[in-house]
Amino acid sequence: MGTSVQVTPLCGVYNENPLSYLVSIDGFNFLIDCGWNDLFDTSLLEPLSRVASTIDAVLLSHPDTLHIGALPYAMKQLGLSAPVYATEPVHRLGLLTMYDQFLSRKQVSDFDLFTLDDIDSAFQNVIRLTYSQNYHLSGKGEGIVIAPHVAGHMLGGSIWRITKDGEDVIYAVDYNHRKERHLNGTVLQSFVRPAVLITDAYHALYTNQTARQQRDKEFLDTISKHLEVGGNVLLPVDTAGRVLELLLILEQHWSQRGFSFPIYFLTYVSSSTIDYVKSFLEWMSDSISKSFETSRDNAFLLRHVTLLINKTDLDNAPPGPKVVLASMASLEAGFAREIFVEWANDPRNLVLFTETGQFGTLARMLQSAPPPKFVKVTMSKRVPLAGEELIAYEEEQNRLKREEALRASLVKEEETKASHGSDDNSSEPMIIDTKTTHDVVGSHGPAYKDILIDGFVPPSSSVAPMFPYYDNTSEWDDFGEIINPDDYVIKDEDMDRGAMHNGGDVDGRLDEATASLMLDTRPSKVMSNELIVTVSCSLVKMDYEGRSDGRSIKSMIAHVSPLKLVLVHAIAEATEHLKQHCLNNICPHVYAPQIEETVDVTSDLCAYKVQLSEKLMSNVIFKKLGDSEVAWVDSEVGKTERDMRSLLPMPGAASPHKPVLVGDLKIADFKQFLSSKGVQVEFAGGGALRCGEYVTLRKVGPTGQKGGASGPQQILIEGPLCEDYYKIRDYLYSQFYLL
Amino acid sequence: MASSSASLKRREQPISRDGDQLIVTPLGAGSEVGRSCVYMSFRGKNILFDCGIHPAYSGMAALPYFDEIDPSSIDVLLITHFHIDHAASLPYFLEKTTFNGRVFMTHATKAIYKLLLTDYVKVSKVSVEDMLFDEQDINKSMDKIEVIDFHQTVEVNGIKFWCYTAGHVLGAAMFMVDIAGVRILYTGDYSREEDRHLRAAELPQFSPDICIIESTSGVQLHQSRHIREKRFTDVIHSTVAQGGRVLIPAFALGRAQELLLILDEYWANHPDLHNIPIYYASPLAKKCMAVYQTYILSMNDRIRNQFANSNPFVFKHISPLNSIDDFNDVGPSVVMATPGGLQSGLSRQLFDSWCSDKKNACIIPGYMVEGTLAKTIINEPKEVTLMNGLTAPLNMQVHYISFSAHADYAQTSTFLKELMPPNIILVHGEANEMMRLKQKLFTEFPDGNTKIMTPKNCESVEMYFNSEKLAKTIGRLAEKTPDVGDAVSGILVKKGFTYQIMAPDELHVFSQLSTATVTQRITIPFVGAFGVIKHRLEKIFESVESSTDEESGLPALKVHERVTVKQESEKHISLQWSSDPISDMVSDSIVALILNISREVPKIVVEEEDAVKSEEENGKKVEKVIYALLVSLFGDVKLGENGILVIRVDGNVAQLDKESGEVESEHSGLKERVRVAFERIQSAVKPIPLSAS
Repeated sequence: MGTSVQVTPLCGVYNENPLSYLVSIDGFNFLIDCGWNDLFDTSLLEPLSRVASTIDAVLLSHPDTLHIGALPYAMKQLGLSAPVYATEPVHRLGLLTMYDQFLSRKQVSDFDLFTLDDIDSAFQNVIRLTYSQNYHLSGKGEGIVIAPHVAGHMLGGSIWRITKDGEDVIYAVDYNHRKERHLNGTVLQSFVRPAVLITDAYHALYTNQTARQQRDKEFLDTISKHLEVGGNVLLPVDTAGRVLELLLILEQHWSQRGFSFPIYFLTYVSSSTIDYVKSFLEWMSDSISKSFETSRDNAFLLRHVTLLINKTDLDNAPPGPKVVLASMASLEAGFAREIFVEWANDPRNLVLFTETGQFGTLARMLQSAPPPKFVKVTMSKRVPLAGEELIAYEEEQNRLKREEALRASLVKEEETKASHGSDDNSSEPMIIDTKTTHDVVGSHGPAYKDILIDGFVPPSSSVAPMFPYYDNTSEWDDFGEIINPDDYVIKDEDMDRGAMHNGGDVDGRLDEATASLMLDTRPSKVMSNELIVTVSCSLVKMDYEGRSDGRSIKSMIAHVSPLKLVLVHAIAEATEHLKQHCLNNICPHVYAPQIEETVDVTSDLCAYKVQLSEKLMSNVIFKKLGDSEVAWVDSEVGKTERDMRSLLPMPGAASPHKPVLVGDLKIADFKQFLSSKGVQVEFAGGGALRCGEYVTLRKVGPTGQKGGASGPQQILIEGPLCEDYYKIRDYLYSQFYLL
Repeated sequence: MASSSASLKRREQPISRDGDQLIVTPLGAGSEVGRSCVYMSFRGKNILFDCGIHPAYSGMAALPYFDEIDPSSIDVLLITHFHIDHAASLPYFLEKTTFNGRVFMTHATKAIYKLLLTDYVKVSKVSVEDMLFDEQDINKSMDKIEVIDFHQTVEVNGIKFWCYTAGHVLGAAMFMVDIAGVRILYTGDYSREEDRHLRAAELPQFSPDICIIESTSGVQLHQSRHIREKRFTDVIHSTVAQGGRVLIPAFALGRAQELLLILDEYWANHPDLHNIPIYYASPLAKKCMAVYQTYILSMNDRIRNQFANSNPFVFKHISPLNSIDDFNDVGPSVVMATPGGLQSGLSRQLFDSWCSDKKNACIIPGYMVEGTLAKTIINEPKEVTLMNGLTAPLNMQVHYISFSAHADYAQTSTFLKELMPPNIILVHGEANEMMRLKQKLFTEFPDGNTKIMTPKNCESVEMYFNSEKLAKTIGRLAEKTPDVGDAVSGILVKKGFTYQIMAPDELHVFSQLSTATVTQRITIPFVGAFGVIKHRLEKIFESVESSTDEESGLPALKVHERVTVKQESEKHISLQWSSDPISDMVSDSIVALILNISREVPKIVVEEEDAVKSEEENGKKVEKVIYALLVSLFGDVKLGENGILVIRVDGNVAQLDKESGEVESEHSGLKERVRVAFERIQSAVKPIPLSAS
């Protein structure tokens, strides 16, 4: 029997919620994607919290909040502890995305779902893979091979292939078959007939995608139109995903047209983002790596874009029309929200959305048609405490400290009582009792806490604290002081030390200002006020989501033609539409499970392995057909020494079998072939091909389907008895292999 | 990588003569250093590793022995790193030969390859006819080169391959090739020691069946990296502290970047040196710096952590120098200049002006080719000849500190011990060094299961691998797992080196192929009664079913359950059948029959009295025919006693009993052949039994 495969959506089915799916393969649980939305709604994670501890591996596909957002929270709060697999860009850019999310949130609320440390620790143990790297899992997952493949959409974006025993499970969401400026198109079409395909129906109903050139033209025209009348342009963007494509478009256009309007890219991590992206060339499109190879032009050396990491820099920028790309795309937090509120009431300004806002966010509200005239916005701001509040805060802190100290001293006293006599610490003063260190500050009350140093424990027997004293006795013999030769060996480590100082422990790079912001522990509070914002600026939405449209999705699925198909991540109508389409045209096993509904997509495929004996193979004549070669075999099962079934040649004559014609006839190709052979040929009505004067050829039976449920092709050739008939029949036969 | 040594199980592969032959032929770098190029062939797949040039020769003489192979037969060409002796004949091979396979190298290698070769073409002073290729060829070759990332698995014509980090230089790779389950590792130049910017060579996850490994360092052992670096910085520090100048002649790419990193870091840690300038004088290195600054991610963790703060390849204390005219030689300084051998150019100019001052120092940072000035001064002669022909005293200090990034003996032997390849092929090493290495390795693998080979250029190493061909039976055919003796019949689909067996009607389900049925309908003019046709058909064919067409109500016949004969109209008969050889034949005979009916009414003459007589005659005739046919097949056929035919082929004798068809022979092959031949002849000459009439 085949490998058992179960799929359980944890979030993101029948709606546009973040993605998170549980795929279990022979009992090994993969969590594929671990997304959250910009509102950080904990109720979305409930299904995940129920299974988090059973998960054996996490696979991430794209570096945006919808795909990775919940990872720090799940690791910290939900007991998720499995190894995480992602490509290098997904890891890096995902980390930066989470930093940006956190810092934006922290500015406007007392955000406490996770901290920067949680983000760091969640991303610390990501195992980074390259595209098409076959990674063999070990331990519980022995025999499973995972590999990320190019998905398009975002830098490092992956479709995942999980293989066990030659059966493929493919997870492909948010892929883009089209090549973009900085990304190659997906390679999904190179997988055929996987056992299971898990894919999204997000764009299933979206069909009128405009051609790239026309869209770029509209995009740039809209922007320049507003700039020329003196307006500002705001593009709410994500932190490190689709924004890269936009930056390249603008950069390219600005250098072609020689525009002097400034472009600002404003997120908390913008400069690190671009620094990292510059070193990710091998993950980008062929044209980008090619231009680097030939002219060493790094496409992300942005000449026209200024990277900013705080709002003040933008406010200090020279006045005049400008383009600002700021996060978050949802306008729920971040710089984009602030700027929107400032700019919304000037009709010269433009807010240009490049992707559909997440459900229930300000961006989504503004994208509705007709756009609202007014929006109610709660603006929050973190302000340092001042005056009475500050005094009150300090008092409160002092009180807390005192209480803490008191409690600690009580604990300490009890400990000392308990361990009295065994505190022979003075002989080895450098051994630090880590258990007691924590309470040391307050252990002896406020009286002499100032003179204590961390890591130094006063012997409880001593009257007053005293610094440790080392008796530095040197040993002498007849020849003088005894020398230890090891002291004179050049230490290898010395050479490294200099570098290790700055090779800091913070995994990701942070801009200095950001770092100061993170370390800023000045007392502050969040002030909120509600505003009614008049929306007089232009609102435009264009599609720069970089996802395949409905038609391409359908043809892609048809091409891949999985044995079983699982649909996720789309509103109900789109899911239903695609499900019906696939049921009718592609494969009979289409599933669209609800949240926490487990579908069993174990293939009902029977299979066993046999060894092909040399004797058998020497008599087999292969015929080449495209990539593969085919032959008919008649054989008898035998045993090999290693208990393996082996196929041996039939001892007697094989019973005759029904001949099979193998090949794929395309009527149009055949027409060309015939005319090259000098046969007059033309299309007649009803898809029939008229060859010569009398003979007609047509495909009958269910047509227009590829692979999947459809059976073999049926071709009808008819005509009167004449030489032409036999000639054309011979040509037709030449298109097939007879087995 | 989860390359745990536990997974490194040595693959038990009985090597026997009757397996498939695997050939490895060095076309260059066989018992020599330079022009690396190794050809490999297994099961019809041909692979070439590296495509270098011998730096000591020029023109065609520098090329590997490409004549030994047919370039058009090569499926894949894999380049390990950008050094001249590994990549420089690539433009020639791509543009001037019939090669039309695919070429792969890593991203960084490709980016530097172009710069390096363009420079090579410019600098190499050879006559036009000796030029192997020009800049245009290099540019054209860029379009054909494909890139591969570390660990990425690529499959070409069933050849699977991927690469591991090799250390040595930026972008250097070791290639693992998997053809039908037989794995070959080609290390190229590699180093198992992590240095300032490069990772150490990885230990592959799987043990290869063959390991083609470099042997540059032979049995030498390297000094520890830290001691080396300390010596290096100490010499520089003391020289500049005394007001001297330091010259480091180095090759533009590879080790130079490592030295620059050391210097920049040392300067950063010693503020007292900040007023002493460091220059690196190589326009090529300057150009390549962008590549180093970009491919940070293929370097080691140390540098990546530094990158988290600032790009370590953006040097703070080192400035580029374009020519000696820009160089203001006042006071102490450190200059790294090309060429490494001090043959000519900037490094030589500086050497000439500095060599007679004993305060100055010259550091030779790596392996030097015999015959260059750099090699000469290592032995510290009293005098040297300057470029202008005069001699000058050599007073400057000369230090030889090797930073070469080739694996030394300790690294090679541990690497091989962990991999445990059953076959080791040594390449890329001087013949003597190689033999020493071979001897020493023999002592390391005393069990005798490891073969170590050192082929010379164009010498082939032949090995035999009995690679199992495994097939997967799927779908309907596999519903019941068969027992011994059961028959399995179906379509065998081979893709790359994977085999699947399936039922024909499931072909479209499990593969991209599809099957088709061709229905044929042919109309024949016929005037006459349909009954006549029916009668005739029944005379000839065993099974003729008659029915009536449901739509038209006209009579129809089904012959042999294959061909339907229908009366279309009064003047036409139609035949319909679905194509296959037998049905086609049946239909042809029906067509002939119908045509004959309309032509004439045939007479059936039954010659009863002849029947008995002809029985005997027939018998004789049959015997004659059998004999004649056997003679034509086997040559020496004699009539023996009791109607036994004696057949002799190549000294083997078979006896054939004509009556029973039994064959007796010592030689089983001949016996089988005679038996089959006789069966076929009999079925051909025996008349069809007339019992039906």
